[in-house]
Amino acid sequence: MLLLGSFLNNLGNFSGFTFEKYIAAYTDPEFLKIIYNTVVFVVGSAIFAAVLAIFLSYMNTRTDIPFKFLFKIISIIPMMIPHILFSISWVLLLNPSNGILNTALMNILGLSDSPFNIYSISGMIFVEGLLDLPIAYLIIAPAMSSFDISLEESSKVSGASNTKTFFKITLPVLRPAIMASFILVIVRSLASFAVPSVIGMPGRIYVLSTHIYRVVSSGFSADYGMAAAIGMSALAASIVLIYIYRYLVSETSKFVTISSRGFKPVLISLKNYKYPLFFLVGFISFILIVVPVVVLCYTSLTPYVMVPTKRAFSMMSLKNWYEVMKDPISMLSLKNSLFLGITGATLGVLLSVFVSYVIVKVKTKAAGFLESLSFLSFSFPGIVIGVGFMWFFVKTPLYGTIWALLIGYIATYLPYGIRPISSAFIQIHDSLEESSRVCGASYLTTLRKIIIPLLIPGIVSSWILMSTMFFRELTLSVVLSRPGSEVLAVQILRFSEDGLWGKLSALGIIMILFSTIIVVCASLLGKKFSKMHI
Amino acid sequence: MKKLILIALLAFFAVSSYSFDANLAKKEGKVNLYANITAIEPLVEKFSSDTGVKATYTRISTSKYLATVLTEFSAGKLQADVVQGPLPILNTLKDKGVLKKYDKSFLDGYPDWAKADDYIAAFGIEYVAVIYNKELVKGDDIPKNYMDLINPKWKNKIVMPDPASHATTISWLVGLKENKIFGNDEEWMKFVKGLAANRPMFVKSFSPTPAPVESGEKLLAISMPKYIVTKAPAPLDWVKTDTLLGSPRGIALVEKSTNPNAAEMFLKYWLSENNMRELANKVGEYVLAKNVFPPINEIEKAKVIPIRELTDEETKKWGEEFKTIFYGK
Repeated sequence: MLLLGSFLNNLGNFSGFTFEKYIAAYTDPEFLKIIYNTVVFVVGSAIFAAVLAIFLSYMNTRTDIPFKFLFKIISIIPMMIPHILFSISWVLLLNPSNGILNTALMNILGLSDSPFNIYSISGMIFVEGLLDLPIAYLIIAPAMSSFDISLEESSKVSGASNTKTFFKITLPVLRPAIMASFILVIVRSLASFAVPSVIGMPGRIYVLSTHIYRVVSSGFSADYGMAAAIGMSALAASIVLIYIYRYLVSETSKFVTISSRGFKPVLISLKNYKYPLFFLVGFISFILIVVPVVVLCYTSLTPYVMVPTKRAFSMMSLKNWYEVMKDPISMLSLKNSLFLGITGATLGVLLSVFVSYVIVKVKTKAAGFLESLSFLSFSFPGIVIGVGFMWFFVKTPLYGTIWALLIGYIATYLPYGIRPISSAFIQIHDSLEESSRVCGASYLTTLRKIIIPLLIPGIVSSWILMSTMFFRELTLSVVLSRPGSEVLAVQILRFSEDGLWGKLSALGIIMILFSTIIVVCASLLGKKFSKMHI
Repeated sequence: MKKLILIALLAFFAVSSYSFDANLAKKEGKVNLYANITAIEPLVEKFSSDTGVKATYTRISTSKYLATVLTEFSAGKLQADVVQGPLPILNTLKDKGVLKKYDKSFLDGYPDWAKADDYIAAFGIEYVAVIYNKELVKGDDIPKNYMDLINPKWKNKIVMPDPASHATTISWLVGLKENKIFGNDEEWMKFVKGLAANRPMFVKSFSPTPAPVESGEKLLAISMPKYIVTKAPAPLDWVKTDTLLGSPRGIALVEKSTNPNAAEMFLKYWLSENNMRELANKVGEYVLAKNVFPPINEIEKAKVIPIRELTDEETKKWGEEFKTIFYGK
């Protein structure tokens, strides 16, 4: 529908086929600069997120670092924070005029200028990378966790050090998971709007999503056809990325690490590095994730946006919290989002298991097409996808109900379910399945008794990814939500549009708390059903 | 006090000429409003409690407004009974046959231009002004007129919506020219270029403009004075210029509404002087009911002019023009 719309004079009017939108979109002299910014932004975010995720996953799953459970939760906290709030927190911390961290550093170091400027491409990469860290983490961690120690032991027996083993054995074998996370973060940051609008726009740095926003918002009759035409470049990029990924991991047998009874995850002793690395991970977690959350807590207690001063502390109260808690729409939103997060993720994971199986184990061209198709929804600008879903649902009795949101969420965010599970699938040798089938077990019995138990870390990751995504989903919700089917992100957007940052932060923290409870429960359940940890 | 308000409300309804049946409206029991105006939840709740007819409010942002309403309308599933939005949007809906005529006989005190259309009632103006942090900008430093914004001392200290894409800001800048706020076009261009030279920080719309001023990150904002009311006790004030410009806000009934009587009841309640006073007092809106002003110091002294509606082509053309000026090195 959207593809068709990009070739029409007016979306919805099927007469008048034209290339006008494409010509206008791609001959814009500014377009090259936007593409350059977009490439730097998405690749930079993906590298930053993937490197950080590899480090944290390794520490949390493979080593004996203390307080691992806490670090595991901290690593996925950015996923639970509404992106707009997370971006605003970093603006409060690192804006060049009066950013809290900048001001503190200037006072401590006696600097005359702010050391950091969040309104820059590096600022955008930094914040987007942190927001996408959980995606990378939740794909890499299960693969790290299911890594067969015998491969590393062989390396060490041959005289290699821990570091050499990590770079020569661990990382190459983890290539599917690393590539999967890298690609998912690229696709995710291509669709990101919060960071480019809150940080990029003030810095006059435009990427595809903000460029599309400009196209859609200039004038009252939004040109969604033009937006779809621009979105085609994101779609093309996503398809190319998927094929590169499939090519790089085509010899799946190279990446199999679970193939026999010998599989047993073992922790690596950090010995003398245990506490220095503990402090390093603690410091990273504190600065990158805890500090912005603390800023949110602070903002939720102040009557308006204030830098911390004696006066600000004297004006603190629980008023915002009280008002949010007694607001019926906020409470209904919480209830609806909980339902969508839990039910939607469960259904989404079930579907993801079957799709991943087809993608990884049924090696046909159609599988590649299916995988590409699963990324389709990411490749269009959120606003355009939202309107596309509206066109679809308005013809059904589901329009305006919570069920339309549920179906839309699952359809849009299926790649988040598929990626961790297919990465885990790749690591399971076909012989396990074949042995089961030879012994007379049906396909479903094999899936239930052999495959799924081994997939538990991937399934848990995928469930957490989907439920946290659904819990704070905005793109579709803002178009499909109606009275009675309000969700948290829409309510947060309302507060944001009213400039009520205190209420916004209070509701944001409630969202983080509930997401954390969901994640902790899912992690504990996963731990119960599997020896592997994420 | 509540009883007095209720008596006043009943008296108001009694003297008004009604085309709707109040009993049928109550029987319908509900009314759905699509709106892009923010912070009106208390007024919607008040309608429900005053009339016993449940009002629900769906906020639709400007960029999705037409797509949402027209998609629902063409599928025969328009959920709105009453629509509120900028006049260009409502005019498009009128052209597409979405709106129906309303009874405007009771609109005493509203300016003639506000009730000239048979389908759309203009009830307010989305007024734009320069607002500032009154704790950080004091005395002689406070700008006295628009031209003061081009003083180089404000370099990197202003925040405003992106003049290349934000339709209302584009209309406002063009409105300053067309309403001869600067006397002639050369002076206007000097203002536009001077403002651009001060490298204002751009945000996507008016709603993110007050926050950087509240926190002291920026000192001035091209924004809406309504935030002085809605964001109290934030230290915000407005630059007291003689003339303010803004886009008219309209409201209209929907043709083939499922709750037609409740919709008419809502429209008349909304346009009543009592409601306009609430809108001014609680939401800080500049309303068109006679002698009703928001509780903002000296705002009643300003002349607030509705700007001409730009067509989409004009908006895009001027957006490109401002992009060249504001984004130029």
